[in-house]
Amino acid sequence: MIRHIVRKEFTDLSRDGRFRWCAAIVGVLLIVSLGSGWVEARRAEAAHSAARETAREHWESQGAKNPHSAAHYGIYAFKPRLPLSFLDQGVDPYTGTSVWLEAHRQNDFVMRPAQDATAGQRLGALTAAQVLQHLVPLLIILLGFGALAGERDQATLQQLLATGVSRRDLALGKALGVAGALALLLIPAAIVGSAAITIGSPGPAAPPFARGAVLAASYLAYFGVFVALSLAISAWVRSARTALVALLGIWVLNGLVAPRVAVDLSKWLHPTPSAVEFARTMEREIGSGVPGIERPDRGETTARLLAEHGVETVDDLPVNVIGVYLQESEEFANQIFDRNYGALWNRFEQQGLVHEALSVAAPLLAVRTLSMGLAGTDVQQHRHFATAAEGYRRDLMRRMNGDLAENSRTGETYIATPDSWAEVPPFRYDAPSLGWVLQNRSLSLAMLGLWLLGAFLVAGSLVRRAEVA
Amino acid sequence: MSTQAVLETPAAAPGEAPPISLREAGFENPLLEARSLVKRYGNLEAVAGLDLSVAAGEVYCLLGPNGAGKTTTIHLFLGFLEPDSGSVGVCGFDVGRSALEARRRLAYVPEQVMLYRNLTGLENLEYFAALGGGETLSTERLTEILVDVGLPGPAVGRRVAEYSKGMRQKVGIAIAVAKNAEALLLDEPTSGLDPKASREFSELIETLRGRGVAVLMATHDLFRAKELGTRIGIMRHGRLVTELGTDEIGHADLERIYLEHMHE
Repeated sequence: MIRHIVRKEFTDLSRDGRFRWCAAIVGVLLIVSLGSGWVEARRAEAAHSAARETAREHWESQGAKNPHSAAHYGIYAFKPRLPLSFLDQGVDPYTGTSVWLEAHRQNDFVMRPAQDATAGQRLGALTAAQVLQHLVPLLIILLGFGALAGERDQATLQQLLATGVSRRDLALGKALGVAGALALLLIPAAIVGSAAITIGSPGPAAPPFARGAVLAASYLAYFGVFVALSLAISAWVRSARTALVALLGIWVLNGLVAPRVAVDLSKWLHPTPSAVEFARTMEREIGSGVPGIERPDRGETTARLLAEHGVETVDDLPVNVIGVYLQESEEFANQIFDRNYGALWNRFEQQGLVHEALSVAAPLLAVRTLSMGLAGTDVQQHRHFATAAEGYRRDLMRRMNGDLAENSRTGETYIATPDSWAEVPPFRYDAPSLGWVLQNRSLSLAMLGLWLLGAFLVAGSLVRRAEVA
Repeated sequence: MSTQAVLETPAAAPGEAPPISLREAGFENPLLEARSLVKRYGNLEAVAGLDLSVAAGEVYCLLGPNGAGKTTTIHLFLGFLEPDSGSVGVCGFDVGRSALEARRRLAYVPEQVMLYRNLTGLENLEYFAALGGGETLSTERLTEILVDVGLPGPAVGRRVAEYSKGMRQKVGIAIAVAKNAEALLLDEPTSGLDPKASREFSELIETLRGRGVAVLMATHDLFRAKELGTRIGIMRHGRLVTELGTDEIGHADLERIYLEHMHE
């Protein structure tokens, strides 16, 4: 019986010019956003790849110079793009995907105003994620608002129920009919997306199809929520027009209001300093240290080294005091960085938790978090990359300062040979695993699951009680 | 549900004409049955203690003004409304407990048969017939049914958006035929139809009656009630104020009796 309902719904919808136009527009936008995202990802990856090679080449060919000068010369680290990042750019456009690694500085590429951008602000850039998160639910609403209310308006509901079909079968058939019509749109998009992943997997990916499958399941659950909500509202209210207005209200709350509220509330609960304020704090603390993290003193370093080696002058020391002091300065600065960036990252993660918790009121917040997480473009994976890049920077400084300390004497002008730079291994970054992502996004997963379950339970209850006329 | 009790003449309420029992009317198999049926909307008693039964091969016409409770009675038989007291039975099933079983055995033709505009007449019939859960009929058989009920052949494959009301009513009857329903509920089915279409509709009902279908028809149309009905019940303020056998009265008598009850 359900099969007949699904077939009828599908036929009815496919002959409806309004549906054809809406589906065509959303379909074109989806395919275009997938294509443009893929092209952009390829272009960015090609640019990164070329820049990475150029940066490495520059590093290795910088000629004979003092290692500390080489440390100041620095090198770029580029965040590899995961295969699914073309679907959802996440925070990448706002945080950047490259960082300049140099002596004494942890460059603050997380300090961008766009970190707090709302979904509304990001609507400016058409991505597949935007289409999936905003336009597909709108299409589902347009397909589903009349599921029962429309039948009631047209007085076909009485005739339908008079046949002896159960409300459960009718509702299920309607839901599957909407899903079938939606599949017409999503299956070609999924084929295009899979082809894009297969053809052009850029970067060292965690298994892209496993991530892709989880991402697809997340979006399907999100669409399922809207199918169930459409059925529920359509069963609950008296007319199709009221159902449409109510569902559009939910769409606005979910897609436009909730993200803004989440941003404001998370900033209010866990405020972050402005970029200027943060830079000033870092400058002040690096200049004078903080209790428990004292700035190294060159005189004290010299005295300690003399004592350790049992000699009276720096000329007798087997190490270069400057190299040791520079490394101690790096380690001091690292503690200041860890203290400030650590607190800042934690604030961002607390803000993220607020977003995830608020997804109890808006499923978009859950699916958006999951989407960015699975695409590898969320704040947590940016932190993961930034931490790896900073680890590389510290190792590079340690090597440069160690070279200076161990291979020269105090007061001596030390010039390292050009082939020294090639001995520094290039920066390699392994993206976190799918398990890591899912563990970190378990709250969003749970919220989305609850939304799906809750929406279908509510829909079931309202369909059972729906008035016939 | 037992069908025995309604075979005898129920006691008449004080001041009301005694109803005619099925046995007196020559029928012994009630497929539609209401007992002491009450439905209230707030303080308004839309159906007030209705006792009614319709046997196989019988056409029972419910007459009455707007608001008499005719449509409410039909909706109670369909299980769209829950009675405040009393019970409704369809083909031996208590509608309150087994609404789906009951509905699978009946067909319903409302005042305006509403169909899916984007589907053809044949597709509409296929859909409603399939939902009825009965025997799966071939496209050829369904087409034949549509033509048999008087739908012009070329219209079968046209979208319903192009159909007249009369054509839609015919599809409604075709649904009942395809479903092989044991009972038929009609709610003002000829309202708004031209005389020719009304006549054709009546012939279809006659055909179904001849096949043993129990028909309960709510109508304002005294002429059609006299022509089609085997019994006529006149409702007012939710009550069945009188029941008449159509063999016993002429058109003029029916009109007189009806108006008398309306002016009481």
